[in-house]
Parts: sequence; C-alpha cells; structure tokens
Amino acid sequence: MLMNTPRTVDIEVTTHCNLRCRYCYFFNNPAVDYRELPTDEWLKFFDELGSLGVMNVVLAGGEPFIRDDLPILLEGIIRNRMRFSFLSNGTLIDDKIADFIAGTHRCEYIQVSVDGSCAKIHDSCRGKGSFARAIRGIRTLQRHRINVAVRVTIHRNNVTDLENIAHFLLEELNIPSFGTNSAGYLGTCRLNAEDVMLNIQERQLAMTTLLHLAEKYPGRISATAGPLYEGKEWRRMEDARTQGAPIFSNGGRLTGCGCPSNKITVRADGAIIPCAMLAHDELGRINQDSLEGIWKKSPALTQLRNRHTIPLNKFKFCADCSYIPYCTGNCPGLAYTITGEINHPSPDACLRRFSEAGGIMS
Amino acid sequence: MNQIDRPITNPIVVLREESDDWAILFNPDTANAVGINPVGVAVWKMIDGKRRIKDIVLEIKASFKNASESAFEEISSFVDTLAKHNYVGYELKTTTIVE
Ligand code: SF4
Ligand code: SF4
Repeated sequence: MLMNTPRTVDIEVTTHCNLRCRYCYFFNNPAVDYRELPTDEWLKFFDELGSLGVMNVVLAGGEPFIRDDLPILLEGIIRNRMRFSFLSNGTLIDDKIADFIAGTHRCEYIQVSVDGSCAKIHDSCRGKGSFARAIRGIRTLQRHRINVAVRVTIHRNNVTDLENIAHFLLEELNIPSFGTNSAGYLGTCRLNAEDVMLNIQERQLAMTTLLHLAEKYPGRISATAGPLYEGKEWRRMEDARTQGAPIFSNGGRLTGCGCPSNKITVRADGAIIPCAMLAHDELGRINQDSLEGIWKKSPALTQLRNRHTIPLNKFKFCADCSYIPYCTGNCPGLAYTITGEINHPSPDACLRRFSEAGGIMS
Repeated sequence: MNQIDRPITNPIVVLREESDDWAILFNPDTANAVGINPVGVAVWKMIDGKRRIKDIVLEIKASFKNASESAFEEISSFVDTLAKHNYVGYELKTTTIVE
C-alpha cells in the first residue's frame, strides 16, 4: 500500500558545481532548466515537508556545499523536524561547515565521491586537485564525527585500481564501508561515453574484482546498481536458469525500481520529478502544487509505480530470452535515456545482451 | 519537585501517519522510530499534558468499541515504553520549600 507522503525527498539544491566531471549525470541534460531557487523558496518548501511528516531530505546538486546560504537551509530542515544527508564531491567541506553540521545532530550521512586510490586516477575524470581536496574533506568530516559514506564510480581509468581503492578507503582512511556504481549513459557522460564507460571486458573485470573484494571485506562494499550489483544478480539469474528454478517473486515484469513509492525528487529550478534519473519527467512545481497531491494523484507517478505490472515477454527486446522469469528489467531512468521509453527494460543492465557481446559470468 | 501523572509528548517527535492502519513516531534528533497502530495514534494525540492516563483510557474505550478489558494496563505500559524512549515525558511540578 502506498504511504501517505514520501519518507525521503531528494533535492538538487543547486545547479552549480566547482568541478566538471567527465561522467557527470547532472550536467548536459537537455531536458533540464539549469536555474536555481532563492533561499526563501526552499525554506517555504521545507515547511511543507515538515507538515507532511517527511523524515529525510537529501541535498544534492551540482555540488550542495557551493551554496553559501547552506546553514540557513539546514536550519529550515531542522526547524521542521527532519534529518538530512548530502551527496557531495567533498572538495568544499571545511571545518566551519563541518562544525555547524556536527552541532545539529541531524546529519544522517555525507556521501563523498572518491574514484581512485591516488590523485592521478581520481583526477583523471574529476579534474586536477580534486582528489586531495576530497580526501581533506573526508578527514574533516571524520574529525567532526560526521558519518561519511563514500561512493566509487567505476570507469575506464579506475577499473584496474579497484583493489587499491578498497585498501585505501577501508584500511587507510578507515571508512566503515563504501558503495559502488559505474559511469552511466546520462548527462555529460553521454558526451564522453567512449572514453569513460566500461566496455564488455572492463565490465567483466570490474565484476570479478568487486565480487572478490566483497568477499575479502564482508559487508563493507555495497551496490544497488553497477558491476557489483550486476555480478551478484546475474550470477543468481544464471544459476536459476541453468537449474530451471521457479520464477523469482520480482521476476518476469518491470519491477526494477521501487523508488517512486518511497521518495521523490526536486530539481534545482523547483520542478518535482520522480528521480534524478528521470529529470525530464516534470510532475509539478514546489510552492505552486501540493506535494501531497502529486504524491497521491500524479498520473505520471502512478504509471511509474504500476510499471511492475508490465510483463517482459511483451517486449520485442526480450523475445525468447530464457532469463525472463528471473529478470526485473532494471532502471527506468537508464531505459529512458537509451531507448526513449520509460516502460522498457534497460538495455544497459541486460544480461542477455552482455552475454551476446562476449561477456562471461565469472 | 514531584512528578505528576499527566504525560506530555516530546515536541521534537514527529507523528507520521503512513496509512490508515500504520503510523511512525520519529525522533529526528536520535533517528529512532517506532511503529504504532491506530489506537496508538489516538493515544498519542491525547497525550497533551492535560489528560491523565485514566482519562485517555476512558476516551479510548468510548471511541474504540473493541477496546479490551485490560485497556488501562495496555495503555499505561504503552505510555511507559514511550517515556522510557523519551517520546513522552511528565511535566514537573515545583514545590516551594519555606524554611
Ligand atoms: S558529478 Fe558531481 S561533482 Fe562532478 S561535475 Fe557533476 S555534480 Fe559536480
Ligand atoms: S532480454 Fe535482457 S532485459 Fe529482457 S529478460 Fe532477457 S536479460 Fe532481461
């Protein structure tokens, strides 16, 4: 049953960033109006979120720490009895803001992106000097006892550095755990796809290495998408297929995403969208449309939530595929950017396509 | 100072009514949350620093036809549990000592 209001609201609080990463999903999306709202618009919206009992606000961007009114925004979140998290590149975090955040006792976590075990690899896609500043940001957060989450985005330049990255993050920086994904065909990444996105062999290498590292560091490396996730899921699908196992409870239909039932996203210009991966899909505007109304009644959102009823065998793309009973069709955002349709399996995470292109499950 | 028996909700705690039969009490300062049913929601809304537990029980019995005989014990223990986890407190009455 659908909950009355979202528990979490993701907010792209700025369109600005001090970096220009080569695989950024955020910039260069033709559907997005790169305009941002003034402080009081956000404060008004936080009052609405508070009245709806929203529990968490995730501040992303661009780079959220670039906003100099950040303390005022955080006070608005706190006043409305919510907690907050950040998705950040870490480079703008200093003692002053860390001290402020620690003092609120409301910070769930700050996720910082680290894509290499050394400056040469991290900076290859994120720009010169970004590694040193991200690590300084992480150490600042650690000194202030703020929960740090690290995200590693895997691409062509760091796929052979994964062992070193795991060692660096888990053993040298003493991060409790980190998450992984891979450069996805969205935003700026589309323009640099050839140079940054993993090819079949690299994807296979990433999967094998990450599965091995996940065993070496139990419970400390996670993924909800990308090579580690695929490595685990595809192995399960392959085992089920060879054993003729019964259909998975979430298999055979487009069940690949549960996000629209738990959370919703707001773009920097105030457009309400289902998620950052579906930035074109405007459901309404903050402070003009009721968030509760959109949550409960938006036809586009309802359609997205009902995506799970669509069987995979209806798609020509999946015709005669023996993985159908075990496949979820995966992310609608990637399905949309690649095929132009939300109600379609994502070709990016298609096991049959991976195998046909020469990919081998380890 | 001595405690009185009129519980009051911690103003920082959020009542999040997720659906008709399920709600969450959420303390954003600690990130602790607890799930409660519709009777729990009704009790929570009556914990206002004015009603005593026995007043709350009477009102619950009046509005929930199938409230059990042991409603007093159940509601007292529910409020005690909430108090133990700082979801509710008891107002303190100050006594002036004259020497
Ligand atoms: S990926 Fe993040 S840090 Fe990099 S340019 Fe995009 S918004 Fe900025
Ligand atoms: S073709 Fe790909 S997406 Fe379709 S069922 Fe097979 S593995 Fe899944």
